[in-house]
Order: sequence, then structure tokens, then C-alpha cells
Amino acid sequence: MNSLNFNIDFGYLEGLVRGFKSGIVKQADYLNLMQCETLDDLKLHLQSTDYGNFLSNEPSPLQVSIIDDKIREKLVIEFEHMRTQSVVPLSTFLDYITYGYMIDNIVLLITGTLHQHTISELIPKCHPLGSFEQMEALSIASTLLELYNAVLVDTPLAPYFIDCISEQDIDELNIEIIRNTLYRAYLEDFYKFCQTLGSTTADYMSEVLAFEADRRAITITINSFGTELTKDDRATLFPRCGKLFPEGHSALVRADDYEHVRAVAEFYSEYRILFEESGNNPTEKTLEDKFFEHEVMLMKKAFLEQFHFGIFYAYVKLKEQENRNIVWIAECVAQRHQTRIDGYIPIF
Amino acid sequence: MGSLYRSEEMAACQLFLQAEAAYASISELGELGLVQFKDMNPDLNSFQRKFVNEVRRCEEMERKLRFLEKEIARDQIPMPDPKEIPNSPEPREMILLETTFEKLEKEMNEVNVNATTLKKNFLDLTELKHILTNAQTFFDEAEFEIDGSTISMSDRAAVLPPPPPTASPSRTLGPTGNIRFVAGVVLRERIPTFERLLWRSCRGNVFLRQKEIDTPLEDPNTGEEVMKSVFVIFFQGEQLKAKVKKICEGFRATLYQCPETANERREMAAGIQTRIEDLNTVLSQSLDHRHRVLVSIADDMKAWHMKVRKIKAVYHVLNMFNVDVTQKYLIGECWCAERHRSRIETALRTGTERSGSSVPSILNRMETTEHPPTYNCTNKFTKVFQSIVDSYGVAGYREVNPAPFTIVTFPFLFSLMFGDSGHGVLMFMAALAMVVMETKLMQTKSDNEIWNIFFGGRYIILLMGGFSIYAGLMYNDIFSKSFNIFGSGWYPHPQRYSEHTIDHHKDLTLDPTNNSDYRGHPYPFGMDPVWQMSLNKITWLNSFKMKISIIFGVSQMFFGVILSLQNSRYFRNSVNIFCEFLPQMLFLSCIFGYLIVLILYKWIAINATMSACAPSLLIDLINMFLLNYPLEPCSSAEFYDGQKSFQSFLLLLALVCVPWLLIAKPIILKRQHSKKQVQLLNNNDEFEGRKSTEINLDGETQTSKQKDGRKDSHTGHEEEEEFSFGEAFVHQCIHTIEYCLGCISHTASYLRLWALSLAHAELSEVLWNMVFRVALKMSGYTGLIAIFILFTPWAVLTIAILLLMEGLSAFLHTLRLHWVEFQSKFYKGDGYLFDPFRFDKIIEVSADD
Repeated sequence: MNSLNFNIDFGYLEGLVRGFKSGIVKQADYLNLMQCETLDDLKLHLQSTDYGNFLSNEPSPLQVSIIDDKIREKLVIEFEHMRTQSVVPLSTFLDYITYGYMIDNIVLLITGTLHQHTISELIPKCHPLGSFEQMEALSIASTLLELYNAVLVDTPLAPYFIDCISEQDIDELNIEIIRNTLYRAYLEDFYKFCQTLGSTTADYMSEVLAFEADRRAITITINSFGTELTKDDRATLFPRCGKLFPEGHSALVRADDYEHVRAVAEFYSEYRILFEESGNNPTEKTLEDKFFEHEVMLMKKAFLEQFHFGIFYAYVKLKEQENRNIVWIAECVAQRHQTRIDGYIPIF
Repeated sequence: MGSLYRSEEMAACQLFLQAEAAYASISELGELGLVQFKDMNPDLNSFQRKFVNEVRRCEEMERKLRFLEKEIARDQIPMPDPKEIPNSPEPREMILLETTFEKLEKEMNEVNVNATTLKKNFLDLTELKHILTNAQTFFDEAEFEIDGSTISMSDRAAVLPPPPPTASPSRTLGPTGNIRFVAGVVLRERIPTFERLLWRSCRGNVFLRQKEIDTPLEDPNTGEEVMKSVFVIFFQGEQLKAKVKKICEGFRATLYQCPETANERREMAAGIQTRIEDLNTVLSQSLDHRHRVLVSIADDMKAWHMKVRKIKAVYHVLNMFNVDVTQKYLIGECWCAERHRSRIETALRTGTERSGSSVPSILNRMETTEHPPTYNCTNKFTKVFQSIVDSYGVAGYREVNPAPFTIVTFPFLFSLMFGDSGHGVLMFMAALAMVVMETKLMQTKSDNEIWNIFFGGRYIILLMGGFSIYAGLMYNDIFSKSFNIFGSGWYPHPQRYSEHTIDHHKDLTLDPTNNSDYRGHPYPFGMDPVWQMSLNKITWLNSFKMKISIIFGVSQMFFGVILSLQNSRYFRNSVNIFCEFLPQMLFLSCIFGYLIVLILYKWIAINATMSACAPSLLIDLINMFLLNYPLEPCSSAEFYDGQKSFQSFLLLLALVCVPWLLIAKPIILKRQHSKKQVQLLNNNDEFEGRKSTEINLDGETQTSKQKDGRKDSHTGHEEEEEFSFGEAFVHQCIHTIEYCLGCISHTASYLRLWALSLAHAELSEVLWNMVFRVALKMSGYTGLIAIFILFTPWAVLTIAILLLMEGLSAFLHTLRLHWVEFQSKFYKGDGYLFDPFRFDKIIEVSADD
């Protein structure tokens, strides 16, 4: 796959995704959206963006959840179209993007059944990009081994699951560990796959996935303070494809509080800035938001180069961010919470 | 009817509408379709505007209409177009419509909910029926296996993958009494995964039999037809039961209670059969009711859609208006044609009357410095020509519009390239058919893009066909053959050629120098048919067509330059006349005008006796530039007295035109500008008594202009742009180079008239000779059959290649000649189209959706 014959197989889709990208809601639109007083205003304004009439068949009054569903539906339609049009290796690459959502869905379903929710009320909450056939049968499993043997062995996630198979019953802490172990294996595998693609895709994706890995490592460390998770266990959850690996990881394992983590991040210029600019005061942005901002910045970079797969990944991520933004604004509008309405993360 | 020559005179008007009368007035204007409204509040968001609630209500109505339409479409009831387009409804009708739609939607929803529950029941019963009918076979098979026959083992292996060694068959299927089962129905495509998952999670301790249901079942929620399968799962023990049920739930399988014994099953099946029949009658009744409701509204659907569209459009326009302080008036700005003002005023009056308001609306003409839109009134004939011009660029306001000239020149230049009467007739007939059946064809709205292109261009095709017939007669070319109507001017003179020579010699030379072979008068119309059989036909035709091309081409360029004079005169731009038109005209006539004169001279003055030393025009033109006239060969020598000095003079004149064109205009513009500036400074000193410089003033107005957005309430010098000599000079420099080089390259470019005509003639000749003539050479019955067979390929190829492909290529070349060679001489094309608010257009768009 090089610049010379990239367009033979992937030119159409690259053009398509660039077209989709230009439909991403702009800062000017956000400014307009923020002035809305009701969700109907929001709907009226979204009509002038690329979303068009996507809400026109919904009876008033609107709910935020409907907006959320419809936005997601639009992304899924676009993604499914690209997936059906693609050939190897792009199709594999696109599948890899969905694995992340599959992991989230699995975890969501396990947690849900643990809390005695029926499967039918959980299914609508799953991300449609990560749905798979056996998903609805997840509730039959009570131990991890069963889960693997019965349900997951047929899914592409099976190899990631090997690490967390045990006869243990499933409980809260377990689930978080499963999620992170799965995610670690997923990221490392995705990273490896991107390396095999070579050229720009590998360059770009390694940067993006490295960031994703580091973000997870830092978040895991911060969230593990005050839980039963031992430091050794913590170390096993860090995805080993980021810039923090290996020195940063060993430092993070030793960390006992937020300040330690911040001290570790001091050594990495891009993360240092994020820590410096974040804070817990209402006026300041949280670390999570700063991470999102950094992610958006990285994703936008994908479109500066041609002939690579990174833009598909970037597009999905940007759309997701846009989804979060619109839902955030919609929530603020619905709850008349005007003061926090500018808490979204502008994209373009 | 306005003239096509220049666009309509436009008036910027201010419109004061009384609040109550606003709706009616705007809807009247919408029916009229002659006014373009300006957005008075471009900074406001769509949801901050005055009539946003009304727009929203319209959208809600549209949503309900779409819902009803979907339901109607589902029942496949036709929705006819209304016989006439309904007038835009009154505001109070809107409320009426709203309640109607509301009621219909509610009714429809109720009916649908009822139908869905009924269908659900029906589905359940049908599925149960299938289970009961199939269950018997399942149980029979299962019992047969349990009897311990070896055959059953192999049979079982086919159904399930081999069991793990720990689970021996005897344990799986123990004594009959312990075996329990569940029966249900699941989507057919889920069967493989379902089976696999059951096997895995129950470790092979269950036994599944399934059978496909042959008839598709209707999913009550989506109304789609789905294929399903019946299954029965046999297992042992409570734990497994819970697990199996969970899996079934996971796969959205519907489970049914199935009696254990065959007798009970039979009884149940009979009971269910009667229930299904009962349900069927109820279901068909409720569907009938639904159908009746839908049929009753289907006729009105389209009309309702149009009405709502119109209401929405009116409110969209009203949203562009400003409200005055007292809230009594809506104030808007609009463009309209000067000569339509009285009609607009009448419409406004009707609107006021309709709304019952006593205060009239006011249409007030105002002065503005904004550029008015370009509005050319067209009819169905001129429309296509105007659109050819517009697709290059919309003419500036009141600029000379090339469209009226295009009506003649376009088909004419086309026909020069397409000159074949036979093909012309075919083209003419096809277009004529479209024109005659116009109204009928117009009604059947076709989605076929290619057909729409041809149909849209029917008038231009008609003209192109007609002109091609004429050009073909001129070239004497009909399907590559010639007609000898008036008798050729040439014949072999009996004194010089005996019968014997004529019969036995393939080639004869007719001598033009003595009058023996020539009748003394030329063929009266077009080309002499004798050329058709002459060997030097192509050489002769080439020379003729080339010269024709140059003459017509250069004439068209002259015409273009003259049109630029018309523009300059109309806009009172004397600088352009003296510094652009004059040198351009001189330059063109000194070189190419002179060339045309030479061509005509050569045709008239040189005859066959002088052919050996006939002047070569090409060489002469080159000599003219080189100032060198060699005596050898004799064709390059001077052929009239004083030729050298005259030609040198022309050349010098042309050369002088270049710097004239280049420098004069920027210098004059600079002079004018500095003079104006001095004047302005003096004015400021005198009237305002304070010394504000031009730059300062300019700066101020610019910021205020930005604030005002598009509103232009300023007059006078504020519009004046910053003048930069450098920029003007560079611009003029480009213009000069473009023009001077353009004259030469465009002249050469017109030679395509010859080239394409040659290609077309040769191609049709080849087709005739290679395909059809083969048959004509044969004699007797074989010839008859051959003609019958070969006519088809000849006709098909003629239409496909010569008519369609060649026609398209000639069309594109003509298009280019008009856009580039002709319009570049005068056409700026920097205007924007007048886009009036018209209901018919809005409805057309909605019909396309």
C-alpha cells in the first residue's frame, strides 16, 4: 500500500470520508447551538448543518436521548457504508475500530446482568457499532471461563480474552479488570496490525494508539487510588504500546497519589502541558477534557496527510466527540443549565 | 416581452406591509413570482426570527403528512397529482389543516396499534400451529433414537457435531421419562449460531431438532416478511432448563407451551386452527378499515403537501423582514423588474383586500449602490440559449447578452461542422417530434437524465438540424452522396474524349483552362456534384472549407469586438472606447481583416489560367511579418503593385496598437483618480471645514460598512475603491497579451470548423463505402438479401456514430467557439441571477424529493 496505487482500492472511500469530515459541525454552529432555548430550536439549527432532516420525523417534544440515538445512527449508517465498500486491509482496519465498541458492549452487558437488568433493556444501550450476534446471549455465563467458552470464542475478541480467563465469579472489580485487560490486548493487537500496514498509516496510527495507551495507563493509575487493586495488578493493565512504556509504567506503578502521576507526566512534554492546564476548579477544565482536546488535535492531524487509513479512525473519533458535544449542549439546554454550556470541545 | 439584448432594468424597492396583510400579500407575490427578497436580518439565527413558531408548525404538519404518506405507500394506494395547483391557503386554513392532520395521525396510530396487536396474536398462533404440526415428527424421530438404534446415532451425528468423549450417548439421552423439552420459533439466519452456542454452553447435553417454516411470516412491528424456523430442544434437569431458556431469550426466540402427548397436541392444533380463522376475519376487517381511511385521504395528499409548502415558504420570506418599532409594519427590501412594478402593486392590493385590512401596503423605490441582479425574460425557445450563456457566466447587470446572437450563430457554426443534409434531416425530424409532442412529453416527468438533456435542448437541436440541412446542401453532401439537381457545370467534351476513351479509362482530366469541358456557368446552388467523383475532391474541399472557416471565424470575432463597443457606449465608458475598442479593432482588421480581403480577392481575381503562379496566402501572411518577398517560387511573389509597402504599413499599424492597448488605459485611469482625489480634498475643506483625508474617511466608512453587513445606505464617493496603478497596469498587461495572442490563436481555433466538417464527411463516406456499398455491388437475389441485411448496421452506425457521437462532438466544439473565441471579446459575465420568490418553483422542488 503506497501512494502510487492507494487510490485503486481506497481512493473512493478516502474521498468519501473527507467529504464526511467537512460535514462535521463547526465552531460557528456550536455558537449558534448554544443560543438555543429549547430542544426544538436545537433541531431547527441542526437542520442547517450536515445532519439535515435527521430529526424531522420525530414528533415534538424532543428528548436528548432521541437526539443522541439519531446522531449515533447517522454515524453508524456512514460507517456501515464504508465497511461494506471496503476491501482488505481497510476492511480489517475498520473491523479493528469496532472491536473497541464491542469490548464496551460486553462490559456493559455483564455489568447489567450483574445488577439484575434484563437483556432486552440493556441491548438498546449498547453501541450499535460494537454489536455482534452472540451479544444477547451473554447473560447465560456466570463465570469468565463460561463466558469465554460459550459466547466469546467465536468473536474476534477471543484472543484478547485469553489473559483474563479464570474460574472466578464475575463481580464489580473483576469487570473493570476485564475491561482493561481486554482493552490492553486490543490496543496492542491493533498497534501491531497497523505496523504491518506500514507507511503513513503505521506512522500516524502508532502516534494515535500510543496516546490512547498512555491515556488509559494514566487514567487507570488515577482511578485505582483507594481501591483494592494491587500495584502489581495495576501494572498488568497498562497497554504496552505507548510512550510511557517501559520507564513511565514502572513509575506509574509506584505512584500513590495524583501528585505522583503528575510528576511522572513531567517527563513527557505533551502530557505535561495537559496536566498543567487542567484542574478541578469549576473554571478549569478537567484532565479528562484536556485529554479529549488533545485527542481532537491528534485526530485533526490525520487529514493533513493523504493515502492512509488513519483518517477513518480519526473520523469515527471526531464524530464521537461531536456526538458528545451536541449531547452536552442539548442536556444543558434541556436542563436550563446555561452556565456550563460552553463545556464542549470544539473540533473545527 | 422585454428584449433579450440587455437584461431587465431592475428596481430596488422597499416594502412596507401591514402586519395583518403581510401574509396575504406575500402569498400573492409568491403566486406572481416576480420579486426577489433580500434578507434584512442575516445575523439572526433561524430560531431567533419572528415567525419561527409558524415555520415549526409547518414542519410538524409536514412530518404528519410524511407519516400518512408512508402509510399510504405501504398499502400501495396511488396518490394522484391534483388537477390544478391549489392556491396558497389563508392563515386560518392552516389551523384547519393542522387539526385535520392531527386527527388523521391519531386515528392512523390507533389503527396501527390495533393492527399490530392483532398481527402479534396472529403470529403467535401461526407459530404455535407450525410447532404443533412439526413437533410430532420431532418426537417420533427422538423416540426412535432413544430406542437405541444404531442408525439414530449416525443420524444424530449429522445434526450435531460429535460430542466430547466425556458425554456418552446413553447419558445424554437417558430414559424417556426424564427428558424434558422446550419448543419455540427463532429467526432462520440465527439457527447456526444458536445451535453452536447451545452445544457449547450445555456441553453437548442438549439435543436440538429444527425445521424451517416454508411460508414467510410477517413481523408485526416492522411489517417486513421474515423467515423463521421451528425448533424443539430436548434436555434433562432443571439447571439445563434455566440455561436453555436464557439462551432462547438471548436469541429472541419465542417459546411456546407444547403438550407432551400426541393427542393433546392434536386437540390443541384443532383449537388453534379455529382461533386463527376467527382472528383472520377480525384482522381483515381492521385492515379494511385502515385501507378505507387511507383511500379517502390519498387524493388530497399532494394538494395538502403543496399547501403546507406554500405556507412554509411564505413564513420563510416573512422571516426576512424587519419589524418596525410599533410592531404594526413589516419592512422588507426586494428587487423587481422596473416594468413589473405595476403588476406587483396590483398583487399587493389584492393581498390587502384579501386580508381585509384597510391600510394599503407600500412599494417604495429606493436608490442603492448595490449591483442589481441580472434578469433575462426567456420563453421556452430562448431558454436553452440563455442557459448556454449562463453556464459560462451570468451577464453583468445590463451588459450585452450574447444569447440572442447565439440563437443564430450557434446552429450555424454547428452546421458548418455537421454539414450533411441526410443527417440534418434525421436530427431535424427527431427534434420536431419532441417539439410537436411537447405538452404531452412534459407531463410525463421522466427521471432519465440523458432524455431530459435532449428534451431540454429540443429547440436548439431543431435549429441545428435545420441549419445542417442547409449546410449539407451547400456542401452537396447527403449521406456522403451528392445530388445532381441542376446539372453539373462540367462534362467531358465529345471532341476531346471519344466514347471509347470514356468507357475504358478510369481517370479523365477535365481541363478548366479551355472552356471545352466547362459549360460556362457554375452550378447554381452549392458545390458542383462533379467533385463527388473527382480524385482531388478532398484537396479542393479542404482549401474551400479552410477559407470559409477563417472568414466566418474572423467575422464573428469582429462582431464580438463591436459588441464590446456597445457595452462601452451603454456604460458611458469613453476610456474603454478609445483605449480598448479602437486598438483592438485596428489590430484585428490590419491582420485578419486584411486576410479576408485577400481570400475574397483570390477567389474573384485568380482563375485557372493563372493557377501555376497563384499567390499562396499562407506564405504571403508570413512574408508580411518577415517583410521579405522572394521572387522564387512565383507563388510567393507580390501580386499587386505596392503590396510590400501597404502590407508593411498594416503591420506597423498593428504593432502600434499593442503599446496603445497596453499603456493608455492605466495612465488615464491614474490621471482621473488623482484629479478626483484633489477635488475631494477641496470639497472636504470647503464644506466640512475640517481637514479629513481621504484615507481617514475611507477607513471610517469601511468599518461602518462592515457593521452594516450587506446593507448599503451609503452613496457617492464611499463606493470608490482604492486605486492602485500597479494593479491596473498588471491587469491591462494581461488583457493585452490575452487579446493579441488570442486573435491569432482564436483564428487558428476557428479552423476546427473545417477539421470537423472534413472528419464528418470522411467518416460518413467510409461508412457508406465499407458497409453499405458492399451490398450495392452485388446483383440479383444475393444483392437483395445483402441490402436487407447490411442496411441495419449502416443505419445503426449512422445514428450512433455520425448523429450522436459526431453531433455531440460538433456541439461541444461550437460551445467552445462561443464561450472562448466569441465571448472573450466582450463578455464579462460577472453578474448574479435574479432569483424571484415563486411558488411553482418551490412546489417543483418538493415534487422531486
